[in-house]
Order: sequence, then structure tokens, then C-alpha cells
Amino acid sequence: MASNMNYGGDSESEDDNFNPAPAEASDDENDNSSVVQPKSEPEQHSSPGRHHDDDDDEEEDGARPGQSAGKRPVAYQDDDGDGDEEDEEEHDEDAENDDDEEEEEEEEDEDDDDVQGHRRKRRKERRANPFLDIEATVDDEDEVEDEEKEDDEIEGFITHADEIGESGQLHDDRRHRELDRRREMEASMDAEKQAEILRERYGKRAPARGYGDSVIVPKRLLLPSVEDPSIWAVRCKEGKEREVVFNLMRRVEERMGTSNEVPIISVFERGGPESTMKGYIYVEAMRMNDVLMALDGVLNVYPRTKIILIEIKEMPELLRVTKTPTLEPGAWVRLRRPFKHAGDLAQVLDVTENGLEARVKFIPRLDYGTRDDMSSLTADGKRKRPGVPGPRPPQRLFSEVEARKKNPRALQGNPLNNSWTYNGDEFENGFQVKDIKIQQLEVKDVNPTLEEVTKFASGSEDGTENLDLKALAATLKDSNMNITYEPGDVIEVYEGEQRGVIGKATNVQGDIVTLQVTEGILKGQTIEVPNKGLRKRFKLGDHVKVIGGSRFRDEVGMVVKIVEDRVTLLTDQTNTEITVFSKDLREADDIGGQGALGQYALLDLVQLDATTVGCIVKVDRETLGVLDQNGDVKQVLPSQIANKLPKRKTAVAADRNGAEIRLDDVVREYGGQQRQGKIIHIHRSFIFLHTHTTNENAGVFVTRASQVNTIAAKGGRITNASTGPDLASMNPALKRNPAAGGGNIAPPKSFGPDRSINQTVTVKRGMYKGLLGIVKDATDSHCRVELHTKNKIITVPKEHLAFRDKITGRPIDINSRGGRGGFSGSGGRGGFGGSGGDFGGRTPMGAGGGERTPAWGSKNTARTPAWSRGGDGGSSRTPAWGADGSRTSNPYEGSRTSYGGATSYGGATSYGGATSYGGGSRTPAWSSGAKTPAPEGFGHGSKTPAYGGDSWGSKTPAYGVSAPTPGASGNDSWGYTPGASGSAYDAPTPGAHLGAPTPGAALNAPTPGAYSAPTPGALSAPTPGAWQGGWGADTAPTPAAGAPTPAASGGYYSAPTPGAYGGAAETPGASGPRYADDD
Amino acid sequence: MFFLHNLEHTVTLHPSYFGRNMHELVTAKLVKDMEGVCMGDYFIIAIMDTFDVSEGRILPGNGLAEFTVGYRAVVWRPFKGEVVDCVVVSVNPHGFFCQAGPLRLFVSTSMMPEEIHYDANASPPQFTNNADMVIEPNTHIRVKLINMRTEVGEMWAIGTINGDFLGCLQA
Repeated sequence: MASNMNYGGDSESEDDNFNPAPAEASDDENDNSSVVQPKSEPEQHSSPGRHHDDDDDEEEDGARPGQSAGKRPVAYQDDDGDGDEEDEEEHDEDAENDDDEEEEEEEEDEDDDDVQGHRRKRRKERRANPFLDIEATVDDEDEVEDEEKEDDEIEGFITHADEIGESGQLHDDRRHRELDRRREMEASMDAEKQAEILRERYGKRAPARGYGDSVIVPKRLLLPSVEDPSIWAVRCKEGKEREVVFNLMRRVEERMGTSNEVPIISVFERGGPESTMKGYIYVEAMRMNDVLMALDGVLNVYPRTKIILIEIKEMPELLRVTKTPTLEPGAWVRLRRPFKHAGDLAQVLDVTENGLEARVKFIPRLDYGTRDDMSSLTADGKRKRPGVPGPRPPQRLFSEVEARKKNPRALQGNPLNNSWTYNGDEFENGFQVKDIKIQQLEVKDVNPTLEEVTKFASGSEDGTENLDLKALAATLKDSNMNITYEPGDVIEVYEGEQRGVIGKATNVQGDIVTLQVTEGILKGQTIEVPNKGLRKRFKLGDHVKVIGGSRFRDEVGMVVKIVEDRVTLLTDQTNTEITVFSKDLREADDIGGQGALGQYALLDLVQLDATTVGCIVKVDRETLGVLDQNGDVKQVLPSQIANKLPKRKTAVAADRNGAEIRLDDVVREYGGQQRQGKIIHIHRSFIFLHTHTTNENAGVFVTRASQVNTIAAKGGRITNASTGPDLASMNPALKRNPAAGGGNIAPPKSFGPDRSINQTVTVKRGMYKGLLGIVKDATDSHCRVELHTKNKIITVPKEHLAFRDKITGRPIDINSRGGRGGFSGSGGRGGFGGSGGDFGGRTPMGAGGGERTPAWGSKNTARTPAWSRGGDGGSSRTPAWGADGSRTSNPYEGSRTSYGGATSYGGATSYGGATSYGGGSRTPAWSSGAKTPAPEGFGHGSKTPAYGGDSWGSKTPAYGVSAPTPGASGNDSWGYTPGASGSAYDAPTPGAHLGAPTPGAALNAPTPGAYSAPTPGALSAPTPGAWQGGWGADTAPTPAAGAPTPAASGGYYSAPTPGAYGGAAETPGASGPRYADDD
Repeated sequence: MFFLHNLEHTVTLHPSYFGRNMHELVTAKLVKDMEGVCMGDYFIIAIMDTFDVSEGRILPGNGLAEFTVGYRAVVWRPFKGEVVDCVVVSVNPHGFFCQAGPLRLFVSTSMMPEEIHYDANASPPQFTNNADMVIEPNTHIRVKLINMRTEVGEMWAIGTINGDFLGCLQA
């Protein structure tokens, strides 16, 4: 009873072989064919004259290996089967030749008449190379079968043996000699051994000859003949085929061994949804009467109606296995009916036992009765034909509430398990559930899209997505439609005869893929295979891109794991692992891949709303993951993004220490998780950082600029150096003087006891902030302060102290003060101040101001004394001036300044002096006073480089030195004064240059005009010619021109035109060197 | 693998650098520009010396001078199958990242021996075989490169510790 064998197709791989048509190839045929070989062999020898034809044959032969695999015409397949054995056979041939007698014995039963006929024919056909036996085997196939069936005589062999001798001698005596040798050898063996060998060699062939005990028999031989039982087709009830068969089987078992055994041999059916043979069962029996007996009284079968006798040649067809798509629960199908749902995706829940119906669930299209009335009757009163397409309600999960509202009577069910019946349809968990005939389902090429599938998944009870990937995989695998192989793809055959073959696709036509085999024994061959059993093959580490319908589409990554056809890859973008089917992958040459959706790309900064910005940290196919400034990650649609904020390369923020941070700087969070990252965006006070140490949010996190410390500024930028070239490295002056080398020389040490001792101070910081005290002792960095309030001596860092005048409480600079102390000489100058009158009174203050100039002592070297003066008030300034002047004159100072010169400090001081002039200019008296001294020589120091140039030489160095303080020139508005500019030039320090390339020009511009205006007379009067020139410049309408240190320029250069001055930044520079020279 | 490689690079120099020590500056700039750079499929580890500094050519328009400099550098080119020692940077359930000098590597769980598993409860999370092998950040580890991806300015590789003598380096 083979009734079941035709349904279900359990053994997939054997399906093809089972089908009779191509089935003649069988392994055993090789053995059979080799039996006949001796005959073909001699023939080759006997046809010497045809050797010129060999070429043709060889061409044919050559073509064959290429086709040797894959599906091809039947004839070739036979050939192929033998092909593998050719070598072996050839080896045997020689031996066989001299064993003809044995051969004959063995093949006694072969039919010689027929063989003769064959042979004649074959002589014509056969022009094969004697060394190859390819064609022989083809022909032999048929022969074997023929011969095996018929008795034979042996003459053929005898003649045949003769021929060997002749033809062999004719053109192959090498072969012949070999044969002789072998014969000799064999003759030397004893008979027993020979028998042994022969048995070993031919013994196995014997079984193939018989019908009964063969293990495998060529299928052709199994084909039914007239002698065999017949098969009758008997009508039965459609759909009950299988049942009938089972009933019969039971009956056979029941009656086994009784007198009325069921006299049939087998029964089977070929039902099934797609079958054309349904409604019949097929009974194999010797006589028709047996069939009737067997079916007597069986339900659902109608032997009284016509019974059809199946023709012999059709019998094999009956048993041909067509693989029917099997539906597994969980598989995806599409509905054909009901019409309303045509094309909808459905999931198989269950398949009925007879394989005819499947219980499927799908998303209902209900309108809850809103159109019910309309659908029952059309406007003209006729009943509407069912199935006429109306507007199709959209797919929506079943809603009990709506159903109850619209049509409560039609609804019944159990709210507990959420299953309902509404209008006769069943609903479970919102899905409609229905038994549908499999014919009405589309099972092949379903191609469920992810969206559709997701609807099913998200409908699960707990709301979690529990996609059954395996079922999905199976469904997708069934449909080859979307698998595209392209030339160049590396492909593996995983099913069918060629299983295990690996090759590279060279050509794809329809569903036939041509492979160039790259591995294994077939290497180098080209075979054609149907794309059914193929899959793409990747190696670990391959760089691949996801194509096809996966939701990871367009991701690019490297393969890290391969399990069958599931490939795990590590994406380039996010360093996460994803698993996809190998069919959805392609080797990727490009990099990057996904990372952009519309105009938004990964790591872009986008504006979410007026107050929120975010950084894109995830790009899916439709949505974007955005990390907003508060650190929250949101999923947004591109449409929800207001706009993209372009990267501002120049954006600057200040870190916790106030240091400037820019894009690409590496910073670390202060506190918190201390995450470290590279700045990718700066937005207001927020900075977005990127790190490689985590995958979370693509390694992006957000923090406030004020909560990070700079780890490494890009390009080694330490502070806010301008982005221009590093001028320090090109300044030859700096190079020449390595001592001055990298930076500024420390300010000169002051001599003598620490000046802060006995000073009155206030504490600026810390717990004693604001308290007044007297410094009792001091080190370089700290002071011990006796507080006025408490009887306590505390130790405070010097920088936390502000020095005050003992009497007035005004802030003072003790360092300068000390310097002043030395200035007795300045007293002379004080005279100048004296000239000012009021000033004289202040002179002491002035001295104080002077202190500052040495400003280097104080923190802000940049500040020229003038500045500080500014703070004090106009009057105070003036004295400062005086002080400055005094200083310069002081030889000590001079020496010092020169020192400072190297460091820009000293320079500042002298300038201060200059500035003061500017200041002075306001008050005519002042200015005059101030100036006058200057010309006299006192002024030299302070004011004009020119002076330095003059006989003042000795001092000049000081000047020059002092000049360099760039800070002074740059920062001090007062500092415009010519002196300042001049100094800048001298100054070797690059900073000065940078800050104001033509410092004089820029800075001066405003001052001269303003000043000059008020006190032209005054100026002219006191100042020497040089000065006047300068003033003239000032008065000149172009302030800029005048700006450049009229006084200085005037004095020194004697170039009256300020323009020249301003323009020529160098001139001052020139002057600087001169100073140096003077030294 | 490390190579001594002769390379060429074009250095541009700001006009303010023109002067006597220009060649020094060119060399200095070359070193600054090129050392430690990923050149696609190799890294320049160190520049040994320059052997040919061409004449400078002023670029019209901006006044920069352009020098073509031939130099010799030690470069590192990672190869598939190369075994490198690296330091683990971060560990996650899928595998761990590590750094072999300038090269970032990922070792997936599937590239580890069977017995190594992820232990999320450890602090910090680690991969361990409950014996001598514990992989957590800063572990020194020997990895074989499986494949690498090269981009402009970046290289990126995956590796395996599945093999003899691969895995943690015991100090």
C-alpha cells in the first residue's frame, strides 16, 4: 500500500530522482556499461581509418564537461554518470582485453544478434579516441539494457578479440607491448590468485544482472509492462480520497489471513488542492474484479460508476511526485478570497489534516455595518452581486466596542480570551480568523513586506514584537522572486545534486545561474544551476551591504558570523550587530552606506523646536533618533525636524576653566561620568561630544560647556592663539637668542628684602576676604599677614592680597614703589611734574604710578601705567607720568628696563610714560609740562624712541627694551602714544606684532586727533621741532595717519608725515634694531 | 607589519615663514602634518628623515609656498591574518573593542572561544571563561585580524581571539 507516498514529498532531495524521465542515470549503470566495454575497445582499434575524425568528437567531448553538472538533457546525463568512471574503466580495459574468455562466459546470456547490429552501427558512429571511452559508455547504456534482457551468443566477442590483434598492431604497439607484459605477469600467477582477482574485479557485477536481488536497478527496468498489475482509477468523493485509502488499508489489515483477503496490490490517491487528479483513487490489482471486490461497501467511493484503466505508459506519471508547497503554521500567505481581502497578508494558524483547508488569521476589513444596507440592496432595488468591488474598508483590527455600538445583535463572544463572533466571522485578538481552502491562498511568492508583518507582530497580546523570524524566513525563501544573483556574486549550492559546490556567478539568465566553480574538485569548471538551491556565500570579515527587503536595508558592515544563510554583521555606522539573510546581502565596495535620511545624516545637529536642538544619533529607514540637548533620545520623523543647523566651524565655547574650546577638541566631563569625547557640535552652552568608547547613541552625548575640561585642543592649541601661523617659530630674533627662547623672560628679580613686608594689605579671597592687615613676613609666594581685626597672623598667597596705602587705603603696587624708592633721580623730574603745579603735589603718587609701569611686577604687564592712572582719575595720571619720566632717567631703571626689554615688560613701563603724555595733552598745562620735560631729555625715555636714538644712547637701551611690551601697545588705549608704537617695533616679542601689526597706526589713530585738537598751542610751544612735526600730523585731518605716534615719529624719524609713520609699521621696527645696535 | 617606506608629501608654508630656516620649518611642518596619520591602508608611525625638499613654489593667490618633500617613514600596515597585541577599550554584550596603536578593532562574541561568555554583572562588565581569561577595559589582548576596512583617515578592523595563543596576555 503505497497510498501515501505521493503526498507530502517528505524527501525533497529525492524528488527529482524519483521522477522517471530523467531517472535512467543510476550509479549502477556504470558497472553495467563497463561490462560491455571490452567490445567497444577493440572497435576503436579496428577503425584506424577514421581517426581523422577524432577532432570532431573531441570537440563534442570537450563541450561536455562544461555541462556535466546541473540540469541538462537526459542523454547527457547518462553520459555524465559514466564520465566519472571513465578513468577507472580505462585502467581496466587492458586487463580485460586478454580476459575475453572470462568475459564471454559472463556475458553468455547476452543477445548477440542484437549486439551485432549495434556493433555495425557503432562502427560508424564511433570514432572515439582509443584512450577515451566517453561515447562508448553512452551507447552502452542502451545496450546493457537490451543485452540484459535477451540471451546472447558469443561470436561477437570472438571476432572482436581478433580485431584487437590486428588493429592494435597497426597503430598502437606501445599499448600492445604493455598488454603483453601484463599478460606475462598474470600468467606467472597461479590460477587461484587469478580467479581471486577476477572475482574481485567482476564479481560485483553479477547481481546487477538479476532482477530480484539487486539493490538498485535502473529505473527504466522498473517500468511496468503488460505482465504487471494494472491500475484502475475509481471515482470517489472529492476531498475524501485520503479517507478512502485509509479505510481500504484498514480493511486489508482486517482481512489479512482470512479467506477473503483483499485482492488488490496497492491503492493510492492524488488529491490535494492543486491536483487535477482529485476525486479519484487509484487501485492496483491484477483484475478489475478484484478492484470491485475490494471497494465493495467502502464509503465515499463509487466503483459502480465508470472505472478507468490506466494505460501502461501513463502509470509512471501517476506516481510522479510534484512537490506541493507545504503550509506550516506560522507561514505567511496571501488571500485570494474573500474578495474583500484579496491580496491581504494572512498568517497560517493551522492546516487541516487533509491538507485542503488552512486556518488563517488576517486583519479584518470591517465597516461595522455602515455599508451593510447599501451592500444588500442597490439603488434600483436589485440585490447587489456579491463580490462587486465597492470601496474596500481599510484594514483595521477588530474593535469590540465599535461592533457593539453598530450592530450589537450580531456580536457574541468571550471578552476573556478576546475572541468574538461578529456577523458570522470569528475574531481573535482583533484578527479575523477563518478556514480557507488552500486553493484560495497564494502560497508562493508572498513576499510579505516588513510593514505588513509588523502589523501582525505588534498585535500580540503583550504588545511586544515577537516576530517569528523563522516562519518569515521560510516564506521568504519560498519566493525566489526577489533573490537576484549578479555576476560576481559568490554562490553556494546548498540543495540538489550539486550541493556543496561553491563558485562565482558569471552569468544569470532567468533562473539559471552559471557558476564558475572556485573550490573543490570541480574547480575551474563552469556549471549551470537553477537558482532555487542557491545562496550567496560570504566569508567572515567580508564587507557587505544589506540590499533587499530587510529593515536593515542599506546598512553596511563586516561579517562576523555566518550560520547557514543567516549572516551577522557589524555595522559600520553604529557598531552594532545585525542579522540578515545572506540573500539580502551584497559584497560592498563602498563605505558608509546608510547614515542619511533625506537631508539629515548621522551626527547632524538639528533644530527640533524653538528651544530644542538635537544631534542625530540613529538613522532608520523612516525615522531618526535624536539626542536632544537635555540628553533625551527621541524618535522623530524627518518632517518633525524644523531644520538642520549647519556646522559652525568657528563656534567657540569656554570650558570650565575658561579655556576656549572649539569643534574637534577633546574634552572630559568634570564630575558625573567623566566621559571623554570629541566635540562635534557647540550650541550655545551645550556641547555635543562623540566618543568611541560606547555605542550608546552612536557614541554621542551632550553636556554643558561649562562642565568640561579640555584634554587636548585640536592641533595642540593651548590657549586662544590666533589661527594664523605660529610666528614664534619664524622669528629669527627669537631663534638667535635661545635664552629668550620659548617665551618671555621672567621679570627681573627685585633686590633686597621683600617689598611686601610691612605693607598694609587687604585679603582679596578666601575666608579672610576683606580683612585688613600688615604683612609681617613674606616668601616668594606667600605672606604672613597680621590682621588688624584679630590678633592673628595668617599665611596668604600673595596673589590673594591687595596692597593698600597705609594712610589713604588706596590700592598701590608695592613693587613699583620699591623701584621708585630708587628714583631719587626722578625727583629731578618731579620737577617736571612740579611744572605742572598740581602735579607736583602728586608726584609721590606719580611714583606710585611708576611702580606700575614696571608693571611686570604686577600681574598685568599689559597695562601701561597710563591705564592704572586711568583708574585713579585724570589727576592721578599725570603724576604717573612724571613718575615714568623719572624712571627712565634713572640709570637703574634704565638698566632694568633693558632687562625687561628682552621681556616685554620693561617696555611697557616706558610707554606708560608716553601714554601719560597723551593724557597730559588734555590739560594744556599738563601736556605742556609733560612734554617739555620730554624734550629736555627726560622725556626721552618715556616718549620717544627718537630720544633713544640720540645721544641718550645709554638710556635708549632701556627704552628700546621697554618698548617691546606689546601688551602695552595693544591694550592700552592710552598707549597709543608714539612711544608705545616705537617700542612695539623694538620689541622682539612676536605677540606685539601679531596683536597690532601696525600698532601705532591703529591705536594711535584716535588719540592724536582728539588730543591734538585741544592743545595744539601748548604742544607746539613746548615741543621741539620734531614734536611739532608730529603735532602737525595730528592736526591733520586724517587721524589715522596722525595716529601713529606723532610725537615719536616726529621726534625720531623726523618724518613729518604721520601717514608715513602709520603706514610703515616697519619704520618703528627699524628703529628697534637701531637701538639694539646702539648697544 | 611595519615597513620603511619612501613617501612624498606636499607641504605648504605660510609666507611669514619664509626665511633662512625655511627648510627646517618645512620639515617640522611635514612631521607635524604627517606623523600618526592614516593613509588609507597604512599608518605613518614616524618620519625618519626627509631626503628631498624641492624648491618652493609660490601658489598664486594666497602667497603660500609649496614644497614637495620626499621622506622616509616607518609605516604600519595591518594585514588580514596578522596577529597584533592590543588594549581593550570597551566591552559590550556583542563583543569588545580594542585598540592596537592607531587601529581600532572589534572582536565579536562569535569570534571568541566557546567557553568565553559575557558577564554583565561583573564590574566593569567583562568577558570571561571563569578561569584565567578576563577581558575588560584595559586588558592586554592578542588578536588576529580577520578583515579591515579602510577609509580616508580611519581604519577599522575586526579580529578574532579564537586560536592558539590568542587572547589575554598575562602580564
